[in-house]
Amino acid sequence: MKKINTANGQDLREMFAAATTWLEKNAVDIDALNVFPVPDGDTGTNMLLTMRSVIDEAYRAPDRSASAVSQAMAKGALMGARGNSGVILSQIYRGLAEGLADKESFSGKDLATALLQSSILAYKGLSQPVEGTILTVIKDTAAAAQSQAGGAQNDLISVIEASVDAASESVANTPKLLAVLRDAGVVDAGGQGLYTILEGALHYLKGEMEQIQLRKPQIIVSDVHPTKLPEMIADEEVPYGYCTEFMLKGEKLNPDKIRAKLEKKGESLIVVGDESTVRIHIHTLEPGNVIRYVTSLGTMHRVNIRNMDEQHQDYVEMQKERMPEIDVAIVAVASGDGLAEVFKSLGAAAIVPGGQTMNPSTKDIFQAVETVPSDKFIILPNNKNIVATAQQVQSLTEKKIKVVPTETIPQGVATLLAFDYEADFETNARLMNQAKATVKSVEITRATRSTKIGGLDIKKKQAIGLLDGKLIAAGKDPTDVLNQVLAKLNLDEAEVITIYYGANTKPEEAKAASTQIQAQHPQLQIEVVHGGQPHYNYIVSVE
Amino acid sequence: MTVKIVTDSVCDFPHGVAKELGISVVPLNVRFGDEVYRDGIDMTAEEFYRRLQYDKILPVTSVPTPATFAEIYDKVAEETDEILAIMLTSKLSGTYQVAVQSVGLMKRKCRVEVIDSGLAVMAQGMVVITAARAAQAGASFDEVMDITRRNLKRADMRAAFDTLEYLRRGGRIGAAQAFLGSVLKINPIIMLKDGVVQPAGKERSWSKIIDYLTRFVTSHSCIEEMAIEDAMCPDDAELLAERVSPHFPKERIFRSKTGPVIGTHTGPHTLVVSVLGDK
Repeated sequence: MKKINTANGQDLREMFAAATTWLEKNAVDIDALNVFPVPDGDTGTNMLLTMRSVIDEAYRAPDRSASAVSQAMAKGALMGARGNSGVILSQIYRGLAEGLADKESFSGKDLATALLQSSILAYKGLSQPVEGTILTVIKDTAAAAQSQAGGAQNDLISVIEASVDAASESVANTPKLLAVLRDAGVVDAGGQGLYTILEGALHYLKGEMEQIQLRKPQIIVSDVHPTKLPEMIADEEVPYGYCTEFMLKGEKLNPDKIRAKLEKKGESLIVVGDESTVRIHIHTLEPGNVIRYVTSLGTMHRVNIRNMDEQHQDYVEMQKERMPEIDVAIVAVASGDGLAEVFKSLGAAAIVPGGQTMNPSTKDIFQAVETVPSDKFIILPNNKNIVATAQQVQSLTEKKIKVVPTETIPQGVATLLAFDYEADFETNARLMNQAKATVKSVEITRATRSTKIGGLDIKKKQAIGLLDGKLIAAGKDPTDVLNQVLAKLNLDEAEVITIYYGANTKPEEAKAASTQIQAQHPQLQIEVVHGGQPHYNYIVSVE
Repeated sequence: MTVKIVTDSVCDFPHGVAKELGISVVPLNVRFGDEVYRDGIDMTAEEFYRRLQYDKILPVTSVPTPATFAEIYDKVAEETDEILAIMLTSKLSGTYQVAVQSVGLMKRKCRVEVIDSGLAVMAQGMVVITAARAAQAGASFDEVMDITRRNLKRADMRAAFDTLEYLRRGGRIGAAQAFLGSVLKINPIIMLKDGVVQPAGKERSWSKIIDYLTRFVTSHSCIEEMAIEDAMCPDDAELLAERVSPHFPKERIFRSKTGPVIGTHTGPHTLVVSVLGDK
């Protein structure tokens, strides 16, 4: 077998130039895989354009040392990074450059070290790293390279070969880690792109230029089958506002500080770079605020602001044709991945993210209504403060809208269960309205300020319990308060208790609470469900 | 000569009803591995559900052989020259097809008409019963056909389960597929519509299921016949019978056990109510 012990900067450049050619051949296929983070279908193209910038810059390197070429490539990646995947790719190249700094040429072991650095930086660039994406793939790849380099067969080809194998396996595994991929039955597009790049580099090192010319990279197929039709994905990751990308140049820039500052201004935030150049990617409703802030730090370059609602609209239009007409569609407002899943699995056609402190606008609900191919809608606001907003939707649309004024999540679930598949629109609205009263809602949260209510002396941040919206208990911890509230209900007459635990509550705590209730009331059917809702430790329905 | 009625074993008739009304029942088969049992003949419902829960091998069902059909047709033809065969929904079973084909295998000469009921369980059973009663009362073939066709439109049913797993495994789940994947534990309620399984409702406890089924019964303005059958939940069946008794005399309700063939697709703990009447 062919062995290469070391390679120089020129080899490095040619490796990735070949990889770019290789990637070009399936960029369109990779675009088709894109379901995360927003369904705009351009991951392959973004990665390809980023790679072109990498190679352009590589030719401008001052000499042929691995150090100089990798630095140039990193610069090219940072300048040309497009989209989420492009930005992460730029972190990977920056890691390579750091790993290969001061090296004339590099060995398998050097490359493994550099890949590890790439992996670390890729994770660092994101405020909320998500597994099952290109991040996981670079992490697995780096780990495989490390272990190969530590063994007897540690020449460059062997190390890359091990990396490519690991990448392939890691890509195939992405649907197991990320629900949106599993639901769509695809592998992660960014991960696939990275795999293709590494495979292209390997072909070059092995001297298989004919392969690159005559053959085409394969999209890795996952053995995980889609659980839902792809149209269900559109509202899972809710794109909104403007996709804002630019490069910030200045002096003594601090990416960590910039990231912290921008974190609350939008979603899908990526901040990468160094003291002099920082690349920023953010989905925000108000790009003006972002621009105002960054221009106080330095100058903006390569500014690209796109309206994502437009992009999303195109996507929705495309999906609409594939969706069957629904007779009566239900739109529910809920926050938390678990609660959204509960509503969907019970047949809600769309979920509008929102709830306490995050009330959606009438437009948000209206947009959900517009995306679902139906003429008749029942809206479940699931919050007292959203009922009025939901009722306004009718004024925006010709479609028939009925609002069942649910004020809590348990009420929403109870009404959804009452949906009669045979009954007409009016009857269903009536049945669902009646079902609202069949459930008691318990909500456990923390007090936002100190107060006195109904004889209760409540301190700020203390756990408090509400029964059907009325504050009736306070105590040391959420579980204790939950028990206090439940003690006020006649549980001997209840049948089913469902505990939805929040984003900040550990499943074990919820399980323990359930065990305790079960011990006292053995006749109850108790279910503990991940709600993922913010603010509320527990939302409990008693039926 | 009186018209004779032939049907299949998925009617889940109460004991003695078929004999009393002169109805011939063609058994479907249920098979555990290589052991084949004729529905309602070789294996009791109790024995079946015991095996369904504890046997390592899962049962499968199969249609009657053409020979079985032809033999039964010929036997019936000894007493009549007009047979009306009412079969379970052709969308869920090949029994109707076999029933039609088998007519050509008969040795005796006899008119045989085969009807696809689009139904199963006692919803089908009650249509068969009313046809047999009319035949016994001396109705002509055309009259029996008319009554049957009319009643097929008036028969409706709801079935509630603990799980849809058995229905899914047997490939009969249809649009009730929508119930799968629910995050919350739900008891699905299904109906037969246009001959296939359709979702009807979902509840979270058996007491709510009883409420639902009671509402289904009372939504009828006129009830001619009613049947309640259960698989291993006689208490729930009894409770439902009590609850609907203000609307229909309890002693007139047909009570039976869901047989092995239906049970293969519904699993233990199934409650079925069928109504022949008008909304």
